[in-house]
Amino acid sequence: MPSNFIPPVVGTPPPPGPGGAPPGSRAGRRAYPTGDPYVNTAQQLDPFSASSPYDRPATPGMASPALGGGPQPQQYFPPGAQGQNFQGHPGGAQVPSFGGQSGGAQVPSFGGGAHVPAFGGQPDHPSHVQSSVSQHPASNADPKYKRCTLNAIPQTMALMNKCKIPFGLLLTPYRHLLAGEDPVPLINPPQIVRCRRCRTYINPWVQFVEQGSRWKCNLCFLTNEVPSFFDWDPDTRAHVDRMTRPELTHAVVEFVAPQEYMVRPPQPVVMLFIIDVSHSAVQSGMLATAARTILDTLDSIPNTDNRTKVGFITVDSALHFYNLSPNVSEPQMLVVSDLDDTFLPMPYDLLVSLTESRPLIEALLQRMADMFKNTTNVGNALGRAIQAAHKMINAIGGKIIVLQSTLPNVNEGSLKQRDDPKLWGTPKEVSLLQPQSGFYKNMAVSCSPTQVSIDVFLFSPQYADVATLSGCAKFTGGSVYYYPHFNAARSEDAMKFAHEFSHFLSRPIGLEAVMRVRASKGIRMTAFHGNFFLRSTDLLSLPNVSPDNSYAVEMALSENLTSSLACFQTALLHTSSTGERRIRVITLAIPVTNNLADVFTATDQIALASLLSKKAVERALTSKIEDAREALMYKLDDIIGAYKSAFTSSGQSVQLLVPENLKLLPLLILGLLKNNAFRTTSSVSSDLRSYLMAMLYVLPPELSLVQMHPRFWSLHNLDPTAGLPGPDGEFVYPPCMNLISEKLDRQGVYLLENGLEMFLWVSRGTSAQIVHDLFDKPSYDAIVPGKTTLPILQNDYSTRVNNIIGKVREVRLQMMTNYPHLIVVKEDGDPASRAQFTSQLIEDRIDSSYSYHQFLSVVRERLAKVSAA
Amino acid sequence: MSMTTEGYLFLFALATAAMLLFGMVFFSIMFSDLECDYINPIDLCNRLNTFVIPEKAVHAFLWLTFLLSGSWIAMLMNTPLLAYHINQVINNRHLYDATEIFRTLPQHKKECFIKLGFYLFTFFYYLYRMIVSLLLG
Repeated sequence: MPSNFIPPVVGTPPPPGPGGAPPGSRAGRRAYPTGDPYVNTAQQLDPFSASSPYDRPATPGMASPALGGGPQPQQYFPPGAQGQNFQGHPGGAQVPSFGGQSGGAQVPSFGGGAHVPAFGGQPDHPSHVQSSVSQHPASNADPKYKRCTLNAIPQTMALMNKCKIPFGLLLTPYRHLLAGEDPVPLINPPQIVRCRRCRTYINPWVQFVEQGSRWKCNLCFLTNEVPSFFDWDPDTRAHVDRMTRPELTHAVVEFVAPQEYMVRPPQPVVMLFIIDVSHSAVQSGMLATAARTILDTLDSIPNTDNRTKVGFITVDSALHFYNLSPNVSEPQMLVVSDLDDTFLPMPYDLLVSLTESRPLIEALLQRMADMFKNTTNVGNALGRAIQAAHKMINAIGGKIIVLQSTLPNVNEGSLKQRDDPKLWGTPKEVSLLQPQSGFYKNMAVSCSPTQVSIDVFLFSPQYADVATLSGCAKFTGGSVYYYPHFNAARSEDAMKFAHEFSHFLSRPIGLEAVMRVRASKGIRMTAFHGNFFLRSTDLLSLPNVSPDNSYAVEMALSENLTSSLACFQTALLHTSSTGERRIRVITLAIPVTNNLADVFTATDQIALASLLSKKAVERALTSKIEDAREALMYKLDDIIGAYKSAFTSSGQSVQLLVPENLKLLPLLILGLLKNNAFRTTSSVSSDLRSYLMAMLYVLPPELSLVQMHPRFWSLHNLDPTAGLPGPDGEFVYPPCMNLISEKLDRQGVYLLENGLEMFLWVSRGTSAQIVHDLFDKPSYDAIVPGKTTLPILQNDYSTRVNNIIGKVREVRLQMMTNYPHLIVVKEDGDPASRAQFTSQLIEDRIDSSYSYHQFLSVVRERLAKVSAA
Repeated sequence: MSMTTEGYLFLFALATAAMLLFGMVFFSIMFSDLECDYINPIDLCNRLNTFVIPEKAVHAFLWLTFLLSGSWIAMLMNTPLLAYHINQVINNRHLYDATEIFRTLPQHKKECFIKLGFYLFTFFYYLYRMIVSLLLG
């Protein structure tokens, strides 16, 4: 290998040990009984009973404290910041109209030298840490965990209505840590300090009153006692400076939860695989690849204290269970072909401990592909399989992992082949995006109280009915993974699935979780988006906290805010995959302002676009895709119109006025309208649309940014530093370009990445040198289009390009369990694949949609019409 | 003063309207329990869904008795509600869905209160008609 070749990282590093607790603390002493109760559980526990110790909501109608006139909100913006004091035109970017200046010189975009940090950029807002009680740099939440669409909150409801910007939070509470990120500090205090009334956890934004003996809650303003261990460590009998405590210095902390936070001892990791063994699953190689991958990953599945349990059910027109008890010498298959009733052939030993039955599990996986290799069975009884699986694990909870290739067609839950290409692109298509049967959704709703989550992997060669089957994952906190036309004979397909599946099995996850978001007095939550089950007005039940999933919370003001900082605290009570009950608390503090200009100067356009994409998905699924598109346009008009009417006096204007912080919002909305999920086209199958909508609904802001505005690099003129780690250790990417086909050089090679796929565009006039260096082919005509793996050659150019591709894949695998395909598109190749590439160039005019310039002028005209009317 | 058939008819209608009224009160109490977190959405939907079809069936039966007995005013009063129920059942929107209940709760509460008011009004109307028929009988 050349010396500067960076091998792509495969799989995940092992989870960090339970360190971080100070010496002499209760780290070694467990807070719960240690005998494993999961061997033979007889009783059914109901976590939904009213006596649950899970966070109770504050009782409604609580007396509001007599605050009188609250302090005036101070301006937290440093003097001289834009928008502070302005007359006339604020520092808004002025976008020329289409008829005005020629060229795109003034049009805001990501490309043209503007550096976009690798993951969608962090908002350039001061984090106000100097107002926290400890003034530690980490005392305000990292935007990767929690972001708000508004970084300056209007104080009054009237002002909020005037600015018309959707007010919401985007959370990724359990993200996978990328290389170079610090782990979340783990605290095990003698007592978890919480406010008496609103049950907020102590955080860096409280105020200490009465010489530090009491603390004032920043959400409900009640004063509470400070416990003695804050200043005096009882174990070492020494004074401790309370400002060094992680609860007061870090906004993202994890507490070890004592027994009051548990209904039952923390559950182990349980994985139950339901594998399709019908004819198409075997023919496509899915069964062999899946069995192989599980076999290779058995060592990396989280297995603290050897408590992890696994089980297998294979499905065709009958159900096959496997006796994997450590007392037998070989795995035994038990076939249940009578499907009129769900029953388990054996009460125990179908779900076994991974460590004790390891040799049997390995033997089963090695033989699984051969056992079914000559099958001609095309039936699939997924409905009954999920019911049986639920019966197997409902006493403990855990993950059901469904690997499905054929459409379920036997007994309960069978689905019809309802796909109709004539409906694609028409208003009637929405009927294909809605579930055809309520069975899977009801299954998910009954799994959720028993802490069972369902993840779905779909491999169908034809119609997989993503819309119906994703309902399983949607309401249990699981995820959907879709591999259309999977064929393991193609090594790229097998590699992608193997990488993603092994990452999926080996990463740390949270189990049996509930999440609640609390906010300062005067702010209430109105809607939630993501994969979860809403168990109460603001309590999200997550049987499985997946690092791939993000959640969006829409909020509204119910009364005028009285303090100068609005705080939002998210608490995620979960069981880690190491078997410990933990509470992850993320606190975000945002200043409150009385000034409309400040509100506009401090919006976070990426978070805003991400929230709008989730709202659009919800609208598309409840009414029509056209309605979702129109709603996006109206919202854009609203926001820009509100800015215009607040800060300009004239009705008609030649130019479109957009605040500095929102100057890329029209481009992002255009990208969303042209995304395959929402585009008016008849070439996108309804399965793909359902899958993209399901993905957009759970993507964090950095990744929805890449879906709306893919990254576009030119590879034929790489800078010498691009493709290698830079001086500060960070990987250097080539500069991003505008997504416009004008940039496609006659001789260029370009790479476009949208989070799910990568396209490598090879022009007809590409130099022979590059063709040889990169593809190891004699000429352009010899290059094979379609999914490829670039050969790793010994020259510098190939190494750097492979580094770039490898780095992108590594990051995408860790952030969203996706190993993007690399698809080569030749300039004179197949029109369908060329259309796939060019449809991602969102600034262009595609089919009947607008180009970026036209879109801006359309927006300007709509605004002019509204203000003139 | 004696009981004519009309008297008995409106006595039966009175009892039925009282029953439907209590049904609506039960529904609205359940919704407020959901908001105060005394019941979880799955249990709520299971409980309420057992009463949805019987309530609609009872109301339809009442309408039918008015039709057959020739009390046109009472029948016409109940026809809009019957049409609304039939529309709901045909579009499969009559059952409560645990995953959507929090999103659609304001609509359901509004519907519940309107029906409560309507059943109360019809209760008094049937009472009036029954007393009138008793006096005239």
